[in-house]
Amino acid sequence: MYSLLLLNGGVGARVAAGQPKQLIKVKGIPILVYSLVAADAVPEIDQIVLNYPEGWRDDVERIVTDYAIKTPVTYVEAGATRHESVAAMLSSATNDHVVVHESARPLVTTADFAALVAAEAENVSLMLEIPFTVAPVDPEQRKVTGYLERSTLRNVQLPQKFAKADLVDAHQKASAEGKTYTEDATLVAVAGHDVRFIDGNDRNIKVTTPTDVRLATYLLSGGEEGWDE
Amino acid sequence: MSKTLMVTGASKGIGLETVRRFLQNDAEVTTIVLVARESEDYTQALAELEEINERGVTLAPYFADLADRGGVIRLCAEIVKAHGNVDILVNNAGYTKPVPLQQVDFADFERTIAVNLYAPFTFVQELLHHGNKFELIVNIASTAGINGRSGWLTYSASKAAVINMSEVMREELAIYGTRVVCISPGRTATALRRVLAPDEDPSTIMQPQDVAEVIEMLASPVGRFVDSANLVVRQ
Repeated sequence: MYSLLLLNGGVGARVAAGQPKQLIKVKGIPILVYSLVAADAVPEIDQIVLNYPEGWRDDVERIVTDYAIKTPVTYVEAGATRHESVAAMLSSATNDHVVVHESARPLVTTADFAALVAAEAENVSLMLEIPFTVAPVDPEQRKVTGYLERSTLRNVQLPQKFAKADLVDAHQKASAEGKTYTEDATLVAVAGHDVRFIDGNDRNIKVTTPTDVRLATYLLSGGEEGWDE
Repeated sequence: MSKTLMVTGASKGIGLETVRRFLQNDAEVTTIVLVARESEDYTQALAELEEINERGVTLAPYFADLADRGGVIRLCAEIVKAHGNVDILVNNAGYTKPVPLQQVDFADFERTIAVNLYAPFTFVQELLHHGNKFELIVNIASTAGINGRSGWLTYSASKAAVINMSEVMREELAIYGTRVVCISPGRTATALRRVLAPDEDPSTIMQPQDVAEVIEMLASPVGRFVDSANLVVRQ
């Protein structure tokens, strides 16, 4: 069985100043709801560890209650950094295996979680091919420094799953070395653990800007089907 | 697959015909929850339904006045406890007392809104709060909700709200894969229609079983392709 660590504590200043990101609404529904409902239908997830920004616990609990989420939810206050948040959530996870997701990806589906859980390896991330060219640069000098073979690069998505011991170990090593990572698949891989990937979906976008909110709303409204008419 | 159907206003008219059709034709429906006010019509309808219940479907009648919101809330808890998940909900119960604007008694306006709008809302919200996952919700509105009708202010307004509420429900409940369809029947030979148009010959207009047949189609596999927010059914 798995514990879902649902990251939900960042303050999304880029989307709506002053309001924590998870209270942003997509299609008039709190963005957090989409991930909760999708994960709630996965039988292998029997615990949801949900973090909340300081002062927002009541609002987050109310959402969980109103949407009758049946999977038991453990609430953890968000840390100052993503590392701190994940570390705090890990210590509340009751299973040996965890799934990591973020509420800012509301287009995740129950099938995405199910495919991840069904993947054979212990440490697995959803990842996506990169359909455009990226270049290594020196940003200070605004200088292109080389070439990256895009067939060997992937867009890192969430959800991801890990053996809890591997994720704990990776976080401890990064902390000891003073390194910061923006997600956990590369963190765990750099720590020396085997991490695999399965193909994600380009619908599973991360909602960080007002344009993302509009795009997510369009996709969730079935807008892409409108060309039939 | 074993499904539970719940129909409000199940003692007569479109509600009763809907129960009858599912009872006889839909092999997947094994429990039918009927909700209506206690009446002789209801008792008689239940006896008739038991007579044609050849598949041994569980017929679970409940008595309720849908203007009593507290009662509706308690009823939801009772239904969830007794029958588990409601897969198909047909919000059919309706009330009207057609009078011109100057003669509208506000208490009656409130009753119209309570039965026609608040009750279907409360059934859906309460059942969701109990963790219910609907496959299909059918809200019965009216063509009188599309255009206001002189002399029917309270009824027209309540049904306009049902049409709009259904659109919102349809969008919001998509996260569960729930389909929400609003049906707006035109003139149908029901008891409610007799209140609205007492001089009309009911044999000349659409019959409740015609609307029930449309509801049955919506719940069938092909119903998935009828993805209309407000389905007008009229002669």
